[in-house]
Amino acid sequence: MRFLHAIWVDIRFQLKQGFYLVYVLITIIYLILLSFLPEDVLSIALPLVVFSDPSVLGLFFIGGIIMLEKVQGVLSVLVVSPLRTIEYLLSKVVSLALVSVLAAFAITGFSNYSNVNWLLLFLSTVLTSGIFTLCGIMINAGCQTVNQYMIKTIPYMLLFVLPCVSLVGFPYSWVFTIVPSVAALRLMLGAYTGIPFYEAVALIIYLIGINYLFLRWTIRVFENEIIYQE
Amino acid sequence: MIQVIDLNFTYKKTKKQAIRQMNFNIREGEVFGFLGPNGAGKTTTQRLIIGLLRNYTGQIEVLGKERNQWSKEFYEQIGVAFDFPNLYLKLTAKENLQLIGAYYKTEIENPEKLLDRVGLLPDKDVRAESFSKGMKMRLNFIRSIMHQPRLMFFDEPTAGLDPVNAHIIKEIILEQKSAGKTVFLTTHNMTVAEQLCDRVAFIVEGQIVVTGSPKDLMIEHGKRRIKVEYKLDGKLIETEFEMDHLAENKQFTDILKNTDIRTIHSCEATLEDIFIKLTGRNLL
Repeated sequence: MRFLHAIWVDIRFQLKQGFYLVYVLITIIYLILLSFLPEDVLSIALPLVVFSDPSVLGLFFIGGIIMLEKVQGVLSVLVVSPLRTIEYLLSKVVSLALVSVLAAFAITGFSNYSNVNWLLLFLSTVLTSGIFTLCGIMINAGCQTVNQYMIKTIPYMLLFVLPCVSLVGFPYSWVFTIVPSVAALRLMLGAYTGIPFYEAVALIIYLIGINYLFLRWTIRVFENEIIYQE
Repeated sequence: MIQVIDLNFTYKKTKKQAIRQMNFNIREGEVFGFLGPNGAGKTTTQRLIIGLLRNYTGQIEVLGKERNQWSKEFYEQIGVAFDFPNLYLKLTAKENLQLIGAYYKTEIENPEKLLDRVGLLPDKDVRAESFSKGMKMRLNFIRSIMHQPRLMFFDEPTAGLDPVNAHIIKEIILEQKSAGKTVFLTTHNMTVAEQLCDRVAFIVEGQIVVTGSPKDLMIEHGKRRIKVEYKLDGKLIETEFEMDHLAENKQFTDILKNTDIRTIHSCEATLEDIFIKLTGRNLL
């Protein structure tokens, strides 16, 4: 009950701070740009655009959200309330994943692209969103300003985005699948262009595992850096 | 309610020992004031008891259990108001209470009643971002008591408030005390401490230098004298008398009978005087 309420509070906070308006505007811009692309280019561009939403955008959004909570002092109230750290973190993950799924479905739905595996699209968006949201919280934990966060985010972004180039294919490029963002993008591409069943299952299990590890890690970082300022 | 024994704490990052061999206890239903200058260790002690700092040595028994044995359940029973406003700025006053209030198992007090108590009812649907600092502090304060906690921690609760609103907050604190609640107050405002606290502790460089009721301390460290100000032949004169055998002091009784008395004061020390006397430091 408390956890569901925390999700509701996060949605209200994000809505009132104007994050959803930004999402809607970005989605519209994506749709306009995608509408100019021919079908064969669309099959590559669409998954990349949809992927960028929970990953790159998600990373910046969670940074902004946590920073706003810090600046407004809300975080210091939450740490002396009965809300548990895991509930706080998961509510962020769920609320942002929800927006990412809505944006992914809207962009894909309005793009007139056929043969989409919606279940796989849903799962890949949620799992990607989870990784990047948790990563954003970890990066943010030690930051005091938005600028600090932006600068600190760049190396992580490169670490996650650059290996995605391996998906163009070259000898042993599959090795890069160990990078969570590559695994997530591979799964998302599969939602649009098809993917063997066993590969999809393996990627989903791997990404769930990564999400779990990131959650445990984020709890530790969050408690050490934000709750206990020793 | 709170029993602190041989407490020591050192910040990991700065290696600064903030608390040294601290001992004190706070009884149930008591308003206990922690007084000291900035950086003395007031907030560190409060944060240790609240559970926002770990790795202390010694004992902090709070609500019947060692602090580091408590889970998040602890926060169901305590209320905390920091010395700076921390609100969802884009949400209204009422929403701020409702959203945080829903995290507690106990039913919160009627938000409108609470807002009315601190003069914010007409602004219940106004976003907190347009509030003045005083309004934010009042909202902050009622949010810390809305779930009816047994133990409350207030850090400079009247900071930034005008006299009327400061009076309302002090009244609420005394109401909480009358209801049997325990209050741990940190402040460097001596007047607030004198008016509210059953007992105070003076803290300097992480150590308690004295503990006692404000009244007892003021008498103990003051002079047993009274100061009389009177007018004689159009001149304002001030004279001090020993308190002992005052009724038999002819000069005093003559002044009472034959002059125009302006003021009579006993010469007990102020808390600030005592603090300076004991620590050689000023409070601010």
